[in-house]
Amino acid sequence: MAALESPPPGTPSAMRHAFGNVLSVLILVLIGVLAFSIRLFSVIKYESVIHEFDPYFNYRVTQFLSKNGIYEFWNWFDDRTVYPGLTLTAGTIWWVVNSLNIPLSVETVCVFTAPVFSAFASWATYLLTKEVKGSGAGLAAAALLAMVPSYISRSVAGSYDNEAVAIFALIFTFYLYIKTLNTGSLFYATLNAIAYFYMVCSWGGYTFIINLIPMHVLLCIVTGRYSPRLYVAYAPLVVLGTLLAALVPVVGFNAVLTSEHFASFLVFIIIHVVALVYYIKGILSPKMFKVAVTLVVSIGLVVCFIAVAVLVALVASSPTGGWSGRSLSLLDPTYASKYIPIIASVSEHQPPTWPSYFMDINVLAFLVPAGIIACFSPLSDASSFVVLYIVMSVYFSGVMVRLMLVLAPAACIMSGIALSQAFDVFTASIKYHLGGSSNSTNDAEDNNSTNNAPKDDASVSKNDKGEETAKERPSKKGKKKEREPVDKPTVRSKIVKKALVLPLEASIVALLLLIMLGSFYVIHCVWAAAEAYSAPSIVLTSQSRDGLHVFDDFRESYAWLSHNTDVDDKVASWWDYGYQTTAMANRTVIVDNNTWNNTHIATVGTAMSSPEKAAWEIFNSLDVKYVLVVFGGLIGYPSDDINKFLWMVRIGGGVFPHIKEADYLRDGQYRIDSEATPTMLNCLMYKLSYYRFVETDGKGFDRVRRTEIGKKNFKLTHFEEVFTSHHWMVRIYKLKPQRNRIRGRAKKLKSVST
Amino acid sequence: MAVNSKLLSLLFLLATVSSIVSASFSDSDSDSDLTNELVSLRSTSESGVIHLDDHGISKFLISASTPRPYSILVFFDATQLHSKSELRLQELRREFGIVSASFLANNNGSDSTKLFFVEIEFSQSQSSFQRFGVNALPHVRLVSPLISNLRDESGQMDQSDFSRLAESMAEFVEQRTKLTVGPIKRPPLLSKAQIGIIVAMVIVATPFIIKRILKGETLIHDRRLWLSGAIFVYFFSVAGTMHNIIRKMPMFLQDRNDPNKLVFFYQGSGMQLGAEGFAVGFLYTVVGLLLAFVTNVLVKVKNLNAQRLIMLLALFISFWAVKKVVYLDNWKTGYAIHPYWPSNWH
Repeated sequence: MAALESPPPGTPSAMRHAFGNVLSVLILVLIGVLAFSIRLFSVIKYESVIHEFDPYFNYRVTQFLSKNGIYEFWNWFDDRTVYPGLTLTAGTIWWVVNSLNIPLSVETVCVFTAPVFSAFASWATYLLTKEVKGSGAGLAAAALLAMVPSYISRSVAGSYDNEAVAIFALIFTFYLYIKTLNTGSLFYATLNAIAYFYMVCSWGGYTFIINLIPMHVLLCIVTGRYSPRLYVAYAPLVVLGTLLAALVPVVGFNAVLTSEHFASFLVFIIIHVVALVYYIKGILSPKMFKVAVTLVVSIGLVVCFIAVAVLVALVASSPTGGWSGRSLSLLDPTYASKYIPIIASVSEHQPPTWPSYFMDINVLAFLVPAGIIACFSPLSDASSFVVLYIVMSVYFSGVMVRLMLVLAPAACIMSGIALSQAFDVFTASIKYHLGGSSNSTNDAEDNNSTNNAPKDDASVSKNDKGEETAKERPSKKGKKKEREPVDKPTVRSKIVKKALVLPLEASIVALLLLIMLGSFYVIHCVWAAAEAYSAPSIVLTSQSRDGLHVFDDFRESYAWLSHNTDVDDKVASWWDYGYQTTAMANRTVIVDNNTWNNTHIATVGTAMSSPEKAAWEIFNSLDVKYVLVVFGGLIGYPSDDINKFLWMVRIGGGVFPHIKEADYLRDGQYRIDSEATPTMLNCLMYKLSYYRFVETDGKGFDRVRRTEIGKKNFKLTHFEEVFTSHHWMVRIYKLKPQRNRIRGRAKKLKSVST
Repeated sequence: MAVNSKLLSLLFLLATVSSIVSASFSDSDSDSDLTNELVSLRSTSESGVIHLDDHGISKFLISASTPRPYSILVFFDATQLHSKSELRLQELRREFGIVSASFLANNNGSDSTKLFFVEIEFSQSQSSFQRFGVNALPHVRLVSPLISNLRDESGQMDQSDFSRLAESMAEFVEQRTKLTVGPIKRPPLLSKAQIGIIVAMVIVATPFIIKRILKGETLIHDRRLWLSGAIFVYFFSVAGTMHNIIRKMPMFLQDRNDPNKLVFFYQGSGMQLGAEGFAVGFLYTVVGLLLAFVTNVLVKVKNLNAQRLIMLLALFISFWAVKKVVYLDNWKTGYAIHPYWPSNWH
């Protein structure tokens, strides 16, 4: 610290800049550490294990990649449905680490990929916000993003899913777009296309980028903000980006064939027309231009109309208008609930209620409007982009709770801008009042490091910044005040000059309240990371009076499958457990979490909803040996198959009309007690879940549905129980061989012989 | 003689057979008459819904002998109840018409005479309402060919069959009659002529609009418009309005225990009521707006005391709003958010 405060050689302002930069880098490193470490709760509280369902598939793919190399990998995996970005990234990390002779297992790399990329994402947020509103806002936004709960929920250690790397790619692509827009440099434009390529590799959410950026370009054009920089930022992105996107197998020709991408081509045409207009305007005299403009506009219009007509024809020729179901349900929010039960069934596709916002972006929800207003004063190309980003993402998040993830970075940027502006104003006011006349000199900030009066406010401001940048770090506190002058001189000198200040005591109260708000955010985020989002959902725990209970039934059952069944045996279960069964038990499944084959899932749903004999026939025709059901009635695990069962009925009924939802409901109510319908009580799912359940407590009391089951003592005719896990959470049944007929014949033979 | 008597008996048999046949023919004649009459009645209405009164009901349903060659789906309407919006009579009647029109459009062959869509109106056909035993609306009843006692309520459409409007009504019909209604064809929002006019207007207006845009003096150049639009979309989304639209949530509920009391806040995070969403959305938005007001507008005010007063007021409101939202969130979700302190602090 002493070294920092010693009078620097050279000009003071240059030194201050240098200190500011060093300090910014230091803070960014700390933010990265924060982003990484807040996501480790899952490893500390549970263990280093891959979470949920989909990540198990990614993990298996990565294992294959690390074992067999890239070429084998490219031929092996299902390139029509899988985005390779995540697995390639983790595979590369593993390869680099191992070539440095650091022996990490593939699993470890997979578990920690998401936290590492969260740190990258917060740095990208810093860069993006810095382009929009300066480095102060950038640091605030980066700190907010490092711990925003919405993002934590998808990137805790172990959650090895596409979103883990995709959010970084998303923010970084936006940063490069803004950077190109601000500089007009082709270098950044090329980088932008490459970043976009990485995003396309990683996540289906890339369509958000390829629609948002054209929208912004269009917005700039219609509000009269066209510039050559805009052209440089947009045209290379469309051309290079589309070519690169088409290289990704899962996208391929969709990049030019589906409606999601048409907006970009339309705007591509428009920007050329506009560029032509501006060019002609430049070379002609105003009078000539007026004549020419009529000509050009009319030609441009004709071209546009032809393009539109072609697009409309293309769109109209495909049944869904060329849009995929998920995109359509964003445009028409009621679409999925009407027509595609398989999309509507997923809980993350539901529309959120207001508590979801409070849970996922917490106090940022309060700050965003201030950020939006700050972006409008003054409005620049970059700030109009982030406004558009927040508006689009907040609307989409209102339709699908899953897209809260896309909203989170925008909310952090906006809140960072708002916080930074508020701190600027309040601290400048305090400084003005405390500094008195000495501040009225033009070089106000010079007093900052020497006078004792400004030292006070510096300590105030460093506290609040500290609150929201990180929980608190004593070593940083001192350095913090060195950073203050760097990003504020322009603002402050402006304020001081115009005497745009607020009353002293009110400013102090406001600062304290903002600090409280920031602390509340930190507390909430840590709590959310520790309690709400860290459960791996493959190992469950519950806290009761007699201590911690661990439910490890899933792994127990998968291990049973892998040890006690034949390698070629096929296992049927609801699709949620498909990837886990494949990865952990290494057995073939009938349906898995890749939900593109609706009919297949409907077949399993139908089997589960059918009576035993019909179900046996369906499963037998699919060559299934074992049926796995998840049952939470004994320990009260709510997301079990009985609770998911209505979706099996709906999805099954969507393809096989003899399954009707009404048959499973008594007066519109879903119940499993003695009032349940006979169809419900006789379906396979009911029987497999509740078989021998009455033996546990004598009454058959289901602790999830909080009721006694309707049909207690029954025998299975076509299935036999082979395994039930410790807490009855997983039950595995084997299809009985076709014995009945033989026995019937034997009986007949016996009767004939006697 | 033996041959003769045999011939005679054969003739006699033939005669009886032919008389029976002709009798049955005449019966089917009257049936086809009724069907033809229904078809012609149907052709007079645009959506294919036949308006019947007491007379028509007795003719087509009561005097016609079972099994009738057709099923009839009856919609019970009452003009005097149209003002009660909670019954949704007019909306359901419209949807009923759409099902009828779709059925006609999708069934050109013989199936189209097996099912007729009929509406009867209370003031014109009170005795039919009594005959059917209908005393509550909305009510839709399917009279299948075999039903002779009209009070038999087996063909009644449940509340759940109205829930998804035309789609669920069509499902009901398909289940009960084994006929296919086929895809529901809703009339487009705009007719072809209207679309044509709009397109023409857009084409004509485009050059003028482009001229204005080039000059830079349209509404879209007004930054305040964009600003308020952005804030509004934000408010709209964080209030969970999309949830209310998709789930068709009411603004508030009536308390079950005390009908005079209204419930505005619903406990449980999976669901919210309309008023609740807007209230919290407002709280979410107002804090940011106040902060922006203080940092952008209030700093320019010259009077120090006015600044102080307004600022403290704004701070108080913001503090209260945040506190309220935190309280409501804890109440609604049941979460207990708590900090983690170092263990040696205890």
